[in-house]
Amino acid sequence: MNIFALEIWYDEGSACTIYSVKWMSDDDDGTSETDKFFDKYTIPAHPLEDEALQLFRLITHSIGNKYGATDDFFDRAENSAQALPPKPKKWVEEIKELGINFPLRLFCYRITEQIVILFNGGIKDAKTAQESKNLSTKFYEAQTFVKKIEEALQSKMIEISDDERYLQNLDGTTDLIL
Amino acid sequence: MRSKTVDRLLNSTPKDVEIFVDLYADLLVRINELLLEKGMTKKKLAEKLDKKPSEISKWLSGEHNFTLRSLAKLSAELGEALLEVPKKKTQTAFVEDGFICKIHSFVSYTKLETITADKVWQMPVESEQSNELSNVG
Repeated sequence: MNIFALEIWYDEGSACTIYSVKWMSDDDDGTSETDKFFDKYTIPAHPLEDEALQLFRLITHSIGNKYGATDDFFDRAENSAQALPPKPKKWVEEIKELGINFPLRLFCYRITEQIVILFNGGIKDAKTAQESKNLSTKFYEAQTFVKKIEEALQSKMIEISDDERYLQNLDGTTDLIL
Repeated sequence: MRSKTVDRLLNSTPKDVEIFVDLYADLLVRINELLLEKGMTKKKLAEKLDKKPSEISKWLSGEHNFTLRSLAKLSAELGEALLEVPKKKTQTAFVEDGFICKIHSFVSYTKLETITADKVWQMPVESEQSNELSNVG
């Protein structure tokens, strides 16, 4: 059984709390999926270091601190070619890219304009995420996360806090294991 | 509360990357706001700019970097300034409560309706210029 935790990734901005997910298994090193993404592409002298830093700034400053998770910054990920598993009710979304042929994609789930959950991502080297060798696994993984988070919200296993900035269990605790 | 990766990247992102992304995000949000305010669709904007709607979508979805020329065209059609460059001389700085406060002045351009043949320019009536030195004895 794949169990994962939702943990706060960045909540010091005034507009939006950014969460990430972390697998709860012995063979995982306990690093969040989003940290894995940024740790991979922000190694000094990595050819995509600059792009990864741009994405990081967009998330932490423009979305996290200034505007929140508005439509300006999100694209629905293409999902039309995908038959199984069933489509989640909410789409997996991508942080909108910056500039011509931006090579990186980071998947996410936007719960509200104040709460976003980031997953992992990779290099988009084909027309769709599913066709990108580097990205397809992360895309399907993101769908799995979204489906479980969506179910947890619908069944009221987790809820949005009164100040609308955080997720919590029904008893108010914040260790979110799904 | 935040991850160590976030801490590391907050401290290592170069300033030029920050400025580029901040400007980009501000432009994206402002253009979308103006389109909404003016009730203008991307299709209509494309028509006015004599471009294909897909090209406008590329501008607004980030697949196309803004150039100064494309910004000027957008600014002219939307009738609002999108990019403002502060003039050094019009900046005033003062210190208050331990902060350096700076006031900038900007010039913004607003597109007016096209002048037709029946509308003739009229020079403003020239008033007698005051001479600030006239009272100096």
